[in-house]
Order: sequence, then C-alpha cells, then structure tokens
Amino acid sequence: MNLTLQGLKKILLSPRAHIDAADIGAIRARALFQAPESAGTKRGQSLVEFLAHVSLFEDLGRRDLARLARIVHEREYGDGEYICEEARPGAALFVVRRGVVEVVRRRAGDDEVPLALLEPPASFEESAVIGPETPRWFSVRARGPVSLLALGKSDLEALSVDFPVMANKVLLRLAGLMAARLRMLLDAEFLGEPDERAGGKP
Amino acid sequence: MTAAPRPMRAAVVITYVVAAAAAVLGAYLIWALSSFIVPAFVGGLLAYICRPLVARLERYRIPRGVAVGLLLLVCGVVALVGLNSIRAAIPSETAVLELRVRALYALHLRYHALMGLDPSSNRGNGLYRLTHRDLDPLMDRMSEVLALTSDERALFVASQERRADAAAAARSSRLLDYERANVHALEMRARQTGRAEPATKTAGGPTSTSAPPSVAKSEPVALGNILSTWMIAPLIFLFLLWDTGSLKRGLLRPIPNRLFEPALAVLYDVDQALGNYVRGIFLECCSLGLTVMVFIAIVGVPVRWAIAIGIFTGASNVIPYMGFFAALLSGLAYALLAENIHPLIPLVNGDTFAIWVVAAVALAELLKNAVYEPFVLGGAVKLHPLVIVIGVVGGATLFGPAGMFLAIPTITIVRVLVASSARHLKAYGLI
Repeated sequence: MNLTLQGLKKILLSPRAHIDAADIGAIRARALFQAPESAGTKRGQSLVEFLAHVSLFEDLGRRDLARLARIVHEREYGDGEYICEEARPGAALFVVRRGVVEVVRRRAGDDEVPLALLEPPASFEESAVIGPETPRWFSVRARGPVSLLALGKSDLEALSVDFPVMANKVLLRLAGLMAARLRMLLDAEFLGEPDERAGGKP
Repeated sequence: MTAAPRPMRAAVVITYVVAAAAAVLGAYLIWALSSFIVPAFVGGLLAYICRPLVARLERYRIPRGVAVGLLLLVCGVVALVGLNSIRAAIPSETAVLELRVRALYALHLRYHALMGLDPSSNRGNGLYRLTHRDLDPLMDRMSEVLALTSDERALFVASQERRADAAAAARSSRLLDYERANVHALEMRARQTGRAEPATKTAGGPTSTSAPPSVAKSEPVALGNILSTWMIAPLIFLFLLWDTGSLKRGLLRPIPNRLFEPALAVLYDVDQALGNYVRGIFLECCSLGLTVMVFIAIVGVPVRWAIAIGIFTGASNVIPYMGFFAALLSGLAYALLAENIHPLIPLVNGDTFAIWVVAAVALAELLKNAVYEPFVLGGAVKLHPLVIVIGVVGGATLFGPAGMFLAIPTITIVRVLVASSARHLKAYGLI
C-alpha cells in the first residue's frame, strides 16, 4: 500500500461526533490518533487475521503475521484503567483489539482534555519502540473493558536481529506513519487545516 | 497520617509472607537441584547462542522444527566427537604410571638444578637456604602423590619389559632408569628426615590407579547418574530453541497492568545484560585460548598440546582469574614433562623452557586484561574485583564447581535486575 499524505489524512482525520473538543490543541492533537472508520474486530477473528488489518503490519505476509502473533502480548483492561500515563516513559506500542480507549492530556488545573477515541485496530505509543526513552505527553485509558495487543521494544529489537526484513517492513510503515503525522501536525499548526475541518463541530 | 485499614494491612502481611515463603522455597529448590544447575545452564547457554542460527535457517524458509532438529544433530555430533577425543586422550593405566615416573624424575631433577643441591641433597644455594623449610615439605607431599606403590612398581616394570621393538626398548630402559633414580631419591630423603620408609602411598590408596572392586563396580552407576543428570541439557536446549515467545508471554501474563510496561523494560535490560555477558565472555574465552595456544606453540609446545592447553584455558576463563592459572599450571606441567621441545625462537632451550612458558602465559594474560576485556567484554561485567572473588568463593562453597561457574552471570543478572527494577519503578511512579 502506498502511504500518500492525502490517503493518510483521509484515514486519520475523519471527524468523529462523539468527542467533546475542549480546546483547539485537543482538536489538532486528535489528528495524531484517529483510527480508520472501517476497522473493527469481528467476533471469532483470529489474531493473525486481526493483525493483517493493522496498518502498521499491512505489508507483512501470512508467515510473518503468524510469527508476530506469537510475539505480541495480549492484555485486558477494565473500565477507566490507565493503559499508559502522561509523563511516564513508554516500553511498548499498543494496538486496540477490542473496545475503545480514550487519549487524554492533563491541563494545568489537573483536569483532563480528551484528545481522541481509538477503536480497533488503531495503534498508539509507537514512538516508545523506536526512540530513546522520553516521557509521554498524553495518557490513554480504557472506556469499558478493553483488549489490547502490546509489542515491546525488546520484541521489536529481537525481530530486527532475527528477521530483519520483517522488522524493516514494520519500521518503514512506522516511519511513514510518524512522518505523515508530523506533517499533519505542522499543517494544523501553520496552515490551520484541521481548524477548518474541526469547524466548530468535531 | 491515618493508619491503613485492617483488611489492607492483612493483605500486605499476607503478600510479604507469601513472598518470603516463595523465596525460601526457591532457595531450597536451587539447593536441592544444584546438580542440575550446570547442565541446565549449559543447555540454556547453547540455546542462547544457537537462537540466531535457528532464525537464520527460518529466514531460508526451513521450518523451525527442522532447524532445531538440525542444530541438535550438529551439537550431538560435536559432543560425541569431543567425548571420543577426550576418551582417546585419556592415558591407559600403564601410561599413567609412565607419566608419574617421568613427572617425579623431572621434578627432582629441576628442583635439584634450581636449588643447586649437592648429590647428598644436604646443601644448596642461597635460594635453597632461604626456602627449603617451606618447599621441602611441599616436595615431599608431591613425591608422595607421584611415587609408585610396590604393586604399581611391579606392574610398571612388567609392562616395560614386554616392549619388543628397539625404540620402545630404549625408551623402556630410560623409564626404568628414571624409576630407579626416583626410588633412590626417595630413600635418601627418607634417611634425611629420619623416616623408616620412603614417602610412598600404600597400595589401593586414595590416588592409586588400580581401583578397588567396590569402586569399579560403582563406575557404571556413577556414569548412569551423570548421564541422567546431563539429559536435562538437551531438553532445556530443545525447549528454549523451540520457544518463539510463549515463555516470555507466560512470564508477563500474570503481571498486573500497571506493572506491565516496567516489567517489559526490566526484561529488556536483563536480556541486554545477559546477551552482552554471553557474547563478551564467549569472545574473551576464545581470544584468550587462541592467544595462549599461539604463544606457547611459539616457545616450543607441540601444536597438539598447545591446542589442548588453549581449549582448557579458554574454558576455564569462564570462572574469573581461573584462565590464567589453568594456562600456567597446564603449561608448567607440560614444561616439567617435556623431553623434546621445538621452539620457533632460538633463545629457548630445555633449561629456560619453563620460564618461557610462564612468560608466554603472562603475556597472554596481559593482552587479556589490556585489550580483550576492555574491547570485547566492555561494560558487560562491571563488577568490583572483591565482589567477583567473594561471589566465586561463595558460589563454590555453596554449590561446588557449579557455583563457581555460575557466580558471575548470576551476580550480573541480579545486579541488573535490582538496578533496572528500581530505575523503572521510580520512572513509572510506583516507588
């Protein structure tokens, strides 16, 4: 699949009605997390089939997906439970398999601004597996019972050593995704594009 | 500050009690299963080293099962060839007697030469006067270990008289001369010390080569025990190589969600430290073994023995400071027994051979400390020498050779585990 900016924008910037945009920063930030509309986890779908729908792993073949399925960690979270917290370092990237998670950011008064809701098969915290240990600027918590897949930094490094071609495909997707997000953020900041999209009604 | 509610305090107490019980049970299991530690460690180490090979084979579309089977086959063949070579190198009963005769003769000869002793062994040079009170008892003890008993002597003489061809007969004659000289030296020493009998062992003594019937009978049982203990090594090897992540996932599954990321980070640190240690120590052992082999071959040790001493040195280097002593002892043992040397440098001769061997081993050790350790091992084992010594001695006291072998990797892992846990728990605001 070709990662064009327009295509990514279409996927990542689709407006969603159920978010209360508390401020313009939150609306801009939403662009960084939005999940594809079409993606959802069907009941009885195997882990390999599910992984095939995750945009990060779209370039992987069946054999690589099966290998990945043996590596990822399946985690269950209860309603309101934090998956990752702001100002803490990250050690894994997460993929929403079932349920909905909410991305929030704390403001000065210690209240939280909702930034985005993520549904399967959205991913978040990708930078945790590639960059140096940096504190997160957002928190993610479960809305209702949630099932997630986690891929640790150590898992990706082991893949890079053992199966470099496979790891390279994932890393290329990851780099493309992050570059596109950065460009969208810059667009939003300097060209006001997401403001127009947000247009008063998120 | 308000006191914790009663049920919460009870839960904390229960947690601590369960943790303490688990620690005690773990320590007991390690103690009880200590004989399995080395085979399990060897199996795990081999699996760790072979993992990239399995992955490489998988990349060539060879199924994991076939790749693991192939590696197991290769390791089995290597182990069999190794065992066969060791078995072939183990000297026969007669050869052991010959070695002891030669060693005792050479020991007395070199001691006399070094100490400038007169034929009556009563007067020597300044070095002798300075050290004979300490060295004479040591020499007596070594003579006692090496000297033949009357039964062994009879067996030795009979075996030497059976030699048919001329070359073998000349060698036998020389060995019989050595034995006569040994007997004479021992008798003279016995007269000097006022003992009635020379310092020799009694037949069937603890170091006798002819095993008593009970020992001989128990040999198959002992071999069976060793085999049953070492059966665990290929099982661990297979299990770890077969595993594609389920072990790690199983380990992380019961971890509470809020500890999941710190646990992942700690596992990552431990894996890195273990990988660095294994790779570093493997390379360092290979480098030291190869260096010792080349250096002692240059000073005149035959290549076959240089290879054997190099392998022994490299393997011993897993235990800190042991590689140097292994090289020194085996090199000096060879220098003591050597009758013909073929040095590549003209300065070496029979009289200075032992000094050159010591110099070669010392140079190899210097290279290890100055080059291999900083560049190959790097920061993989940043332990204070005192910690290393206490760890090795403590490990040896508690678990014997297995404890010596595993002391440093265990200390390395525990240190990384504690430091990484503290760092990550703090970073995640859990402590």
